[in-house]
Amino acid sequence: MRKQMIISVMSKDRPGIIASITGSIYKLGGDVADLNQTVLCGYLTMILNASFDEDVTKEDLHAAISHVKTDCKFEVSVKELLPGEEIEEDGPPVDTYILTVQGPNKSGIVHGVSQFCFEQNVNIFDLATTLKDGQYTMALQLDLKKCTCSMGELQQKLENYSKDNGLTVMIQHNDIFQVTNEITLH
Amino acid sequence: MLRSDQILATVEMIQKENLDVRTVTMGINLLDCRSGDIEDTCQKIETKIVSFAGNFVATCNEMSKKYGIPVVNKRISVTPIALVGAGFKKDDFVEIAKTLDRAATAVGVDILGGYSAQVEKGMTETDREFIASIPEALAQTEKICSSINIATTHKGINMDALAIMGQTIKDLAEKTADQGGFGAAKFVVFCNQPGDNPFMAGAIHGVEEAEAVLNVGVSGPGVIARALERLIATHTEPGSLKFDELAEEIKQTTFRVTRCGELIGRAVSKALGVEFGVVDLSLAPTPTIGDSVGEIFKILGVDSVGAPGSTAILAMLNDAVKKGGIFASKTVGGLSGAFIPVMEDAVLADAVGDGSLTLEKLESMTCVCSVGLDMIAIPGSVDADTISAIIADEMALGVINSKTTAARLIPVPGKEVGDHVSFGGLFGASPIMPVNNVGKSSRFVAWGGRMPAPIHSFKN
Repeated sequence: MRKQMIISVMSKDRPGIIASITGSIYKLGGDVADLNQTVLCGYLTMILNASFDEDVTKEDLHAAISHVKTDCKFEVSVKELLPGEEIEEDGPPVDTYILTVQGPNKSGIVHGVSQFCFEQNVNIFDLATTLKDGQYTMALQLDLKKCTCSMGELQQKLENYSKDNGLTVMIQHNDIFQVTNEITLH
Repeated sequence: MLRSDQILATVEMIQKENLDVRTVTMGINLLDCRSGDIEDTCQKIETKIVSFAGNFVATCNEMSKKYGIPVVNKRISVTPIALVGAGFKKDDFVEIAKTLDRAATAVGVDILGGYSAQVEKGMTETDREFIASIPEALAQTEKICSSINIATTHKGINMDALAIMGQTIKDLAEKTADQGGFGAAKFVVFCNQPGDNPFMAGAIHGVEEAEAVLNVGVSGPGVIARALERLIATHTEPGSLKFDELAEEIKQTTFRVTRCGELIGRAVSKALGVEFGVVDLSLAPTPTIGDSVGEIFKILGVDSVGAPGSTAILAMLNDAVKKGGIFASKTVGGLSGAFIPVMEDAVLADAVGDGSLTLEKLESMTCVCSVGLDMIAIPGSVDADTISAIIADEMALGVINSKTTAARLIPVPGKEVGDHVSFGGLFGASPIMPVNNVGKSSRFVAWGGRMPAPIHSFKN
């Protein structure tokens, strides 16, 4: 049984970061399963999951990545999954909804919207925001499986929230975005 | 996750561009409702419609909420009633119409279509009784729409039926004179009428169809117009945007629009356990500002609808809509093309008012689009034979070009050119359109018999 590690790395972006990190993992006999990375304001952050032989430790991995020669030091964090701790399946659940928020930029929008979701026990599993010409836009991918109210109530609450906060908020099933943007019809 | 710009483009289509599902229409077969007497038949019809469509409107509303897209109209089409009521007399058919009206009200749909007969080759005694009942039936009901198919490419034109159509339309208008002849707006004469068209007034549930099916009509022209405006706005350099690129934009936009219709139609069909039929790709305008097919003509380069170039523009529009839609949907059917119903489209109605759009130009435009001379208010003084003859020309276009054509003409009682008529709501308003050469076609209409099927119908 190989051990599973979750590794997160942040650094100033440059060509070759993924090659360096996965190189260190490879040298330790690791096998990368899943990797996700994003770049924001010139900084790269990545999270990945890899499996190793039993004798490889968190510290070995930390040291290997930290010793990579680079202008901007990698900030590394490693978490070892305990035996029995299962890796949750990725991918959107069946009841995925997309929430879009648009309005003039002001502080507290992301907090307000995420707090709203939290109060209805709605899980945010992906979120993208953009600021352009003073307009703030958020697109959130939500899991409504454990939502504490019905779709009708949620829409009513969102309508009130939009009015109270001067934002345009809409919620729609993920399928509508897939069918209008992808060739394959599920 | 989908890209944010893709998500926002879809949201924009719904919020600002009137993206909706124009109609979900449930077709219900009523052939098994014929009974020994009229009371029992009516009872069976009402029971069947209510049992099939009882949850129809609520389910459409639920899906509309889930996907965040409005379903504007919920409608029902039924088996052509002349077949359902075989052997009944004129007054019996009026009773059936009233029953259908009650059933439509009970299940909450806004219109029910299928008060219809198909007589392209010949008329039975029942067909004649049925056609005679139409003016009374539509005058006494609110939600019933009627259609008669008098021509097909395979059979030619039934000239006996054609001769009756003009008078039927006149009677319809006269019986509803206090409403501007509104009865005639609920009656349409067809060539090559499809049995799975979800749009009114011509929706029927064809005899070739299953017990019950759901057909969907996709969104209107507003989305296309806004997409074209956006594309044009990003090409400020003269000559940097060509006609084929505009066609491509229409195609891609139609793809998205059709997909929404398909998704919601299938979801409703699954929830109700009713078979999904087709998506009809027609661009259907409404009198709402920004939801006009006429506006697209202007965006695509003519200053008035009806100006030279209009027919070519419509040909391109109709074709691009089909190309985008056909790939987006598993099953396409119905009429599928651009509609030009004059009264229902504010820009087209204005073009009638300023004289740029004439009946003759409209006729030529119907050669390249669906459906035909639709929702045209003409002077109440135009005689029945002239109306029949206008219909004959439109039928001939359909017969020869192997396409659906139709005529929905409203001779507004007491009104002449220069006057204006308004029916309100989706039926819209328009100035009265001049008709040239009135009273010169009676000898032609009087022949009766049949116009033979064209040579290219013999493909066996």
